[in-house]
Amino acid sequence: MHPRPRALRSLVIGLAFTSACAAAASAQTVQLPSTSGPATGLADSAALRATVFGTAPEDMAPLPARVPLTEIDIKLPWANPVPAVFWFDKRLRVWLSAQKTPAPLAIVIAGTGGSGNTDKLATLRAALYGAGYHVLTMPSPTFPGFIVSASRTGVAGDLRQDGEDLYSAMQAIIRHLPRRVQVTDIDVLGYSLGGANAAVVKAIDSAEGKLHIHRALMINPPVSLFTSIGRLDRLFALSIGSGDAGIERLYRQLYAELANLYRASDRVELDEDFLLGAAAVVLKTDAEFSAAIALSFRLDLVNMFFAGDLYARTGVVVDPQHPPKVGDPLEKFEMTLRAMPFSEYFARVFAPYYLAHRAGATVKSLVADNRLDIIGDSLRDNEDYYAQTNSDDLILDTSELQWLEHTLGARIVVYDHGGHLGNLGSRGQIADMLDMLAGRWHRPTP
Amino acid sequence: MPVVALGLAACGLAVLAGCATQSVDIHGMPAATPAADNAAAAANRAELAAAIANEGREDIAESGATPSPLFTPADAPSMVTYDPWERLNRFTYRWNARFDSAVFLPVANGYRCLPSPLRSGVHNFFGNLTELSTMLNDALQWRIGNGVRSLGRFLLNSTIGIGGLIDVAKHVRLPSAPTGFSDTLGTWGVHPGPYVVLPLFGPSTLRDTIGLAGDIGARYGINLFDLYRGSFWKTGSMDVADAVDERANTAFRYYATGSPFEYDDIRFLYVRKRLLEDTGLHRHEKPQKPAPGTEAGR
Repeated sequence: MHPRPRALRSLVIGLAFTSACAAAASAQTVQLPSTSGPATGLADSAALRATVFGTAPEDMAPLPARVPLTEIDIKLPWANPVPAVFWFDKRLRVWLSAQKTPAPLAIVIAGTGGSGNTDKLATLRAALYGAGYHVLTMPSPTFPGFIVSASRTGVAGDLRQDGEDLYSAMQAIIRHLPRRVQVTDIDVLGYSLGGANAAVVKAIDSAEGKLHIHRALMINPPVSLFTSIGRLDRLFALSIGSGDAGIERLYRQLYAELANLYRASDRVELDEDFLLGAAAVVLKTDAEFSAAIALSFRLDLVNMFFAGDLYARTGVVVDPQHPPKVGDPLEKFEMTLRAMPFSEYFARVFAPYYLAHRAGATVKSLVADNRLDIIGDSLRDNEDYYAQTNSDDLILDTSELQWLEHTLGARIVVYDHGGHLGNLGSRGQIADMLDMLAGRWHRPTP
Repeated sequence: MPVVALGLAACGLAVLAGCATQSVDIHGMPAATPAADNAAAAANRAELAAAIANEGREDIAESGATPSPLFTPADAPSMVTYDPWERLNRFTYRWNARFDSAVFLPVANGYRCLPSPLRSGVHNFFGNLTELSTMLNDALQWRIGNGVRSLGRFLLNSTIGIGGLIDVAKHVRLPSAPTGFSDTLGTWGVHPGPYVVLPLFGPSTLRDTIGLAGDIGARYGINLFDLYRGSFWKTGSMDVADAVDERANTAFRYYATGSPFEYDDIRFLYVRKRLLEDTGLHRHEKPQKPAPGTEAGR
């Protein structure tokens, strides 16, 4: 070989391996109920596949050839002291794609656990930039980089508090935008949890009036964060089993399948193409697709759980008296946390923290505060809120979908297929998104 | 006059205060190319679908060998990685992350502003330099077919490909299949050993580290085109150019995950990836049963 940092390249492949990991599953060991209709009672086959694979490249909306990118790292004065093990997250990192002429600004918020530069954000950024917007992409308030650099509490997941933190961060960022960036109008949007965050930010702005946000668009939002994640926990339990044993079984299954596939090929090096191809081959049954979805959500939550436990000093895995230092082994924390469902986060970190810090709060009120109902009146009466979702989105149940349709009335489009975000970037979704943000969207007459 | 002076002083103070609280870093990144990326994804997808349908069966049919014994989940290595030097490794990982964001990545991003044909020329050139040591290792691993392929690639690219600037061989269905001394050691039955994070190079294992040293030795020993003899500046600039090229072609970004578990996740993925590649070195042998309770990489 050669003195190349081949190891570095391996990392990228390693990351592709993560998606392959997420895309692998233990089908033979766990059988989901094989009733007709939605598998697991949560989603049907097409929805699961769409959710994992996303929009096929050939179905993507036209995207521009070139999108300039500027990275903005900003230190926010209200952030809590940074714990030692989060030394790299001191500044909030967001990305800006600016037009050369005055233009409206679209602020896009990532979904659960997502950074300000996820693939889905990149797709939305490209489409919005192509349509003439300045585009600012931001991490989810549940992303560890956000929790450490921009959260006032360190305990993520409260719709209003996360909205306040996002709103303050947006103001600070907009104050520091390069002078050549001339903003004529501001819209906010987001996918998944980021959609709910966007709507709440607009509602806060309506009261405080600091940014004069014009329109807000929710793409596949949850109605209740806790209900949605509860559904994903059930999906995890059904498709993977409980605890770390289930994850280990999944890992062994995947490893064996990959090894067999690899040994049958004449490849020398495991490259990205191979792994992506392998993922497409390894995943076959609904159970496997369910496991992939459930696992990727679970892994997204581990960081938020860890950070919350550290900040709230709740002692689930981190001893509040002896928090880990730089250089300390951390694997045991990760292993413990990834075996825990989201309900544990709520019961052992989130609820104790907010019950102690929010006057008059009860467990019941905390759950209620996490529903989009808290801005129900605005969603109902204000013409500037829009939503896009799918009738087979697995984070919504029937009553939640009905609530969205009923509340937003003529300002929601519900596609027949796509699962959760499985049609993001498709021609129809992007065209409607741009029409909605421009205020020219009308519900097609059936 | 005093009013003006006071005003100036106030402005100066404001600027200073502004500087003191200045807490924003804004830097340009290489532009995204969504249309081209999507077209490439579409092409890849079609290619993959075709390749996956045929691969494996064809190779086995051609080689006439019996199908490899199948791996079972019980053959998978433990999820725990053997990392006895974890504290030092974590320190090095952190140092690498800082070096990367302060020096390596900015340089690579600057390099990425150069025209793409120039960059791919550089990339192909360095790739071509490795073909001979790949061939050598193929020979040591007794993989004659691959060795011949490497030789063919080298001859084609060095001549028609203008000294390696163009990867002609790829277009006549001779894609590159790099291998190194670590793979050779693996073929000879050497285990990966403990996990190691190398300064600059990043994740490795003890065997990969020895392999890397061997590869560097081979590169200087073979001294292709007389590039690796002469002044320190000459050989050093070759290595720097090679490293910048490699970094510019690597999408990895330290701590893009924002996660304190990044070290653990990368360690897990790196070692599993290398172990999987090792299974390919022993394609036609029975999978080795891991002893119960052993950690991966030991």
